[in-house]
Amino acid sequence: MTDKFHTELKDLKKGVSGMARYAFSMLQDSQEAFINQDAALAATVLGRKDALREKTVELEETCYQLIALNQPVAKDMRTIVCSLKMIAASERIGRYGKSTAKIVNEIAGRPHIANMMSIPLMSEYVLAMIDDAITAYEAENIRKLEGFSARDDAIDALRHSIFREAITYMMENPKTITQATYYIIIARYLERCADHACKMAENVQYMETGERTEIK
Amino acid sequence: MSDSTVIATKNLNLWYNEKHALQDITMEIEKKKTTALIGPSGCGKSTLLRCFNRMNDLISHVKITGELLLDKEDMLCNGMDVVALRKRVGMVFQRPNPFPKSIYENVAYGPRVHGISDRKVLDEIVERSLRHAALWEEVRDRLNDSALGLSGGQQQRLCIARTLAVEPEVILMDEPCSALDPIATAKIENLIEMLKEYYTVIIVTHNMQQAARVSDYTGFMYLGKLIEFDKTTTIFEHPKEDLTENYITGRFG
Repeated sequence: MTDKFHTELKDLKKGVSGMARYAFSMLQDSQEAFINQDAALAATVLGRKDALREKTVELEETCYQLIALNQPVAKDMRTIVCSLKMIAASERIGRYGKSTAKIVNEIAGRPHIANMMSIPLMSEYVLAMIDDAITAYEAENIRKLEGFSARDDAIDALRHSIFREAITYMMENPKTITQATYYIIIARYLERCADHACKMAENVQYMETGERTEIK
Repeated sequence: MSDSTVIATKNLNLWYNEKHALQDITMEIEKKKTTALIGPSGCGKSTLLRCFNRMNDLISHVKITGELLLDKEDMLCNGMDVVALRKRVGMVFQRPNPFPKSIYENVAYGPRVHGISDRKVLDEIVERSLRHAALWEEVRDRLNDSALGLSGGQQQRLCIARTLAVEPEVILMDEPCSALDPIATAKIENLIEMLKEYYTVIIVTHNMQQAARVSDYTGFMYLGKLIEFDKTTTIFEHPKEDLTENYITGRFG
């Protein structure tokens, strides 16, 4: 019976990792669609919303069943708890991808202003954080999570600088207000996604060590 | 040894002939808390439990070394009155074993042995013990019926009442629910929770979920050694030893 449980636990981890990668691709593609003003790519991201929801519900159900039927303890229990948090964080990240794709639809016809400020750079940093958190979960290795706190600080600083830059452009030329506001919103989405990556990292650390840590 | 410790062992070793059944066990059992001992069959948990009221004296060719203290008193010394010790440290066994007597007499037996004969005092002891064992409401109208007519779960609670009647400090329970159905088991588990208010409980169990549910501290034993002893929440959430982790997650044993 226990072997069966541990096989199911491995399958759960594969499923969660697959879902997290799916959500990651939604954010990644939405960013690419934004940078290249690619409305067609944005449309494919919007089309993935329902599948993301289905995966979320299905994997959560699996977690609940594993808990109810096996009363897991120690690392088994921590793995399921971490998986539930990974599912929740991934769903949010995927949905920020969807929200970004919606913005792309709004602004794709207009040229970018100010070289998109620092959004491409911020996007690259945030995607790397999410990728590292998912990899740490898959490999059960927390080495990649060192320095997450400093990386999160850098993201906050970027969001702040984009905000100030956008305000400057809006004051100089009111015609940029719509687009610059969207830039602020996208930077805010990315900053939230980095926070979710930090939550993932905290939970992977808990899964591996049993210690609760806070990435500030 | 702190004041909140009721039983303490230091480098306790026990041999059955050549078999080294307990190896350097050092632990402190906290007063009015429930401590569970878990581990695979043959790991020594029942042997350790039986040390706590010197039940191993009844087995020949047993040799014990090290320290074993009850309220800072040496339990292993020659002068220790074993009958008095077993009054202070009571025991409940795997299978309910009521005497073939009435419910009343089962509970009154211990106090009578210890010299109480006043009927009124005995009545009080019987009622109090049955109430503490959560059995009073079920048997109050048939105290003179045979104890053997009770269900398995009721018999086990009667055995607990019989133990409580002599007002022990510590109650040892060796797999007290292994012969009971889930409902009777739940009643015993609730009872253990209530007993904590007055007594120290040490329970040996094969059922890890039971250990997790009822105990404040858990000791994991393997091949005669105490591998890890800590708060139950720590043992079941993030044990320090890999051996404990592997056992409680069912990877061996």
